[in-house]
Amino acid sequence: MSSEEQLLVRKIDWGTVIDHIPNWRADQVLKLIEVESLIKEPDVSVIVLKSVPSRKYGKKDVIKLYHYFIKEPDAALIKLLFPTVTINFIKDWKVQKYVPNLPEELVGKVRCPEVTCISNARREPVVRRFAVLKEKGYVRCYYCDALLEISSIPDFIAA
Amino acid sequence: MVCAPSKTVIRGEPPLPTDSVNAFYKAMPIRRRVFVLGDRETRSAFKSDLRGRDIVSAKDLSRDELELVFEVADDVLANSSAYSAVLRGRRVALLFVEPSTRTFSSFYIAARRLGGDVLPLNEPEMTSLTKGETLYDTLKMLEGYGVDCIVMRHPSRGAARFAADVVSAPVINAGSGSQEHPTQAILDVYTILKKRGEVDGISLGMLGDLRFSRTVPSLAYLVSNFDDVELHFIAPSALQVRQEVELYLNDRNVKYTKVTRQQDIPDAISRLDVLYVTRLQKERFPDPSEYERLKGSYRVDMDMLRYAKTSLGVMHPLPRVDELDAEIDRTPHAWYFDQASYGLPTRMAIFALVVGEAR
Repeated sequence: MSSEEQLLVRKIDWGTVIDHIPNWRADQVLKLIEVESLIKEPDVSVIVLKSVPSRKYGKKDVIKLYHYFIKEPDAALIKLLFPTVTINFIKDWKVQKYVPNLPEELVGKVRCPEVTCISNARREPVVRRFAVLKEKGYVRCYYCDALLEISSIPDFIAA
Repeated sequence: MVCAPSKTVIRGEPPLPTDSVNAFYKAMPIRRRVFVLGDRETRSAFKSDLRGRDIVSAKDLSRDELELVFEVADDVLANSSAYSAVLRGRRVALLFVEPSTRTFSSFYIAARRLGGDVLPLNEPEMTSLTKGETLYDTLKMLEGYGVDCIVMRHPSRGAARFAADVVSAPVINAGSGSQEHPTQAILDVYTILKKRGEVDGISLGMLGDLRFSRTVPSLAYLVSNFDDVELHFIAPSALQVRQEVELYLNDRNVKYTKVTRQQDIPDAISRLDVLYVTRLQKERFPDPSEYERLKGSYRVDMDMLRYAKTSLGVMHPLPRVDELDAEIDRTPHAWYFDQASYGLPTRMAIFALVVGEAR
């Protein structure tokens, strides 16, 4: 963490730090982790830093989730979209770097961009599934074959 | 998973081929002799790796499997009486959630001719889907009735894959929204084989609405099994073939070109061995005047075929409206009525291989 940033926001002793997010992309990460769902967690605070100086990348975004540990699939999804990101779990000031495995399949999280896909039918018990075609930059719906650009995933997080 | 794991294949000594099959062997190189159907042995003959398999996507079929279907389809045409009991005691449900006449009747007749019991669910009132029952519940109910195979047409893309995961009985996709229609593609490729002698080396053009057509992706996937295939997608950019089809063809190193400009159509036509026509639908155009402007260029008539090879075959999944001039009917270019007639033997072959009796 750069010294400039420390001036702005203090370290946290418990929770998750999502660092090295590309500049001005923090909102997309917030969508991926469905930050709104944290409204039910009274102890959680969300600190979003945008356009912070970074030695490595010039500028970057940082998200600190105080008293919250992000889940493994969410971490993997963030890493898929933003390979530069580093995820740290902080427990009683101790920093533990977390490197998620890149997923071959996305299950449950992402909505199919094709409105007529069976996975978008209301009331059908369909588990949404996508194959990750990383090198092509797409994910592909298991049911209807529709392609979704990896970079567009934040707009298709399942409601 | 994508499809049910192939069942254990039991291969004994292949019996000697009958004459009709013999003729077929000469016409086409067969990589794997599987079996021959005779009057006596039909009940145990169908031990193929298509047994119990879902036919959800044309992508799931290998060339060997496809050639096996064609072999049986040929035999169905030659020895139809030998097939009258292949589905005896088998219950086939035809769940058609979207209107269809020809696909439905062709599956219906195919199952009946094989001696199967057919449960036709093609009227909306016959299923409870109109009452708001989920597809899942409908499928579970059919499974509870002990059906041995479900043939399904559904307006949603991906519905067939979903159904295949829900029920253990094999599911045959008879059209899943704008996604795929694999059995149509099987009969299309069979038509090409019968009319042209081989599928390898074909220059195949597809014209019309390639984006919302369910037959086009399935046909493109199936022909990618063959060697030296060249595809020409002839359509305005808004109705060009979908991205996932292109991705698949690229993965399989299939050569294809997209023809989007009207002035390039004659040149493309002149290169084709087969022209596959689908209908441009007015409602697919965001701007109706665009449709009026383009429809003439995508109408196949004798004027367009001026540029074509004399051997060009014109195919159409039917029904046609006005995209295919009736004048062509009288020329040797017209393959589409033969094409339609191959629906029956190919679907009988699919039933025989997937659900045929093998005790």
